Amino acid sequence: MKVSPDYYDEIFSFRGEWDMPSTCGLKIRRCGGRTYVIVTELYQDNPGTSVTYAGKSLAGQICLAKGLDMEEITYVECNPDTNSKLSFYDEEYFQVDFSADLQHRYRQMDRTEIESMLKG
Amino acid sequence: MNTFKLKLIYPKWQKLKGQTTFNLPPHGPVAFAATLPEWVDVTFTDENVEAIDFDEQCDGVALSMMLSTQVKRGWEIADEYHRRGKLVLAGGISTMLHAEEMVNHVDSVFLGESEGRMEQVMLDWTRGELKKLYNFMGNLPPIESVGPCRRDLYKRDLYNHKGVQMVDLFHASRGCRFSCYPCAVSYLGGRCFRPRPIDKVVEDMAGIENNRLFIVDNSLAQNKEWEKELFRAIAPLKKKWISHTIEDDPEVLDLAAKAGAWYVYQAVYDTSDYIKERVKRYHDYGIGVEGTILLGLDNQSVDDCKRLIDFLGEIDLDLAEFTVLTPFPHTKVYDDLLRQGRIFDFDWNHYNAGQVVFQPKKMTPEQLQDVYEYAWKNFYKDESQEQKMFRLFCNVALREMEEGTYRPRDRRLANRSFGKDVVRYIKKN
Repeated sequence: MKVSPDYYDEIFSFRGEWDMPSTCGLKIRRCGGRTYVIVTELYQDNPGTSVTYAGKSLAGQICLAKGLDMEEITYVECNPDTNSKLSFYDEEYFQVDFSADLQHRYRQMDRTEIESMLKG
Repeated sequence: MNTFKLKLIYPKWQKLKGQTTFNLPPHGPVAFAATLPEWVDVTFTDENVEAIDFDEQCDGVALSMMLSTQVKRGWEIADEYHRRGKLVLAGGISTMLHAEEMVNHVDSVFLGESEGRMEQVMLDWTRGELKKLYNFMGNLPPIESVGPCRRDLYKRDLYNHKGVQMVDLFHASRGCRFSCYPCAVSYLGGRCFRPRPIDKVVEDMAGIENNRLFIVDNSLAQNKEWEKELFRAIAPLKKKWISHTIEDDPEVLDLAAKAGAWYVYQAVYDTSDYIKERVKRYHDYGIGVEGTILLGLDNQSVDDCKRLIDFLGEIDLDLAEFTVLTPFPHTKVYDDLLRQGRIFDFDWNHYNAGQVVFQPKKMTPEQLQDVYEYAWKNFYKDESQEQKMFRLFCNVALREMEEGTYRPRDRRLANRSFGKDVVRYIKKN
């Protein structure tokens, strides 16, 4: 379940749940006046907390490291394709709204939105 | 150093209805107890087989919890001890999975493995300096430091069914190099397989009075050379054991059989010839198979589930265990279902792998619940779970008789089951 480097520009190290050393893929794109912070789960190459579980804490750590304002970014989680036969390892992108409750925090993005965001 | 009297408790949980209940002596509490310093005088209560005596004198209380279905009961127990002015420490797998909530209910949370850490924790406690959090996540102790468990703490008669002693649980390794979709092991122990040194395993296993074990390692099929060495080394002990998957290799299966493999848990995830052959190969070596069948995956419709259930009749399983997909925290399935807004129940008492807590993709929650219940009924329609278990038990007893290791059941406990009187329903003429 190796994640293709095409999914990220850099590997971002962060403090996960209970300060566990953790990593994710990171891309930052500017598109239509918005800044998209795209974090990608690295599965076997992430020794700690998943990007979903780290959630707002991870977003905060990225903003701090990159000099971004949490209020100004559009935060996106990517579940990368890993060439697995299992459907739950297919590619998916979710826009995350940390102000919503846990159940309504995630909105799956469609292909057009994803392509437009990644073009930057 | 003055003696510190610690009451160690394993909270009870609601057993799944309609299934045969067997209470095995839990492994986590006695593995934890083995890491306590000598000046700690520990007593153990497994609430699944005996009531907690809240009035028993103690200096502090430790909760050891493995399942999500134990945590809420653990919090109730902590509340009761708080009313009595006692501090409560919590640890174990479900403490780690539910740590964010756990910190609100107990005085101290221990995260990680306890080998080499408890001297300091207990010193803090005796000095009145018990910390809110002892965090050793991602900081695993050397596997060589894992020693024999404190099995002397078990009240053996409570783990006995009609005179038959339940298996003892045993770890030959920790961790797992795999990270399977519904599993949290990679979060708990890092994605690495940590085999115990073989000489330590043999010494530990030889010291267990029980001649039937359950080697509860996540999977033995992680390092073929270690696995072969393990089986060669434990064969002279003549124990009989249950385990999870064994490597699908003739040499390994042969060695496992000679080392006392009784039966294995094998995932049955599709209706392929591979699965059929896999089960047959175990049987060819005299190893029984309990199929584990996970229902409710996104690629399964009601018809798919029923086809899988029907398929079990063709592959000659000795036993089968059905579960519904459950999004335990810190698993990929939790992340996926959370993002998709499909988890509708966050009551941890319902996270028992027998109750649907999420919206399946190709059926309704009610249909999945019905399929789960149909699966148990259908598989055991001709022969009950207890009858099938009895057949497996006879197989092992015969092998033990051939090897001269068979121990007759304890007649003294023939009318007792897990500490309670056996209720026999005898029809009157």
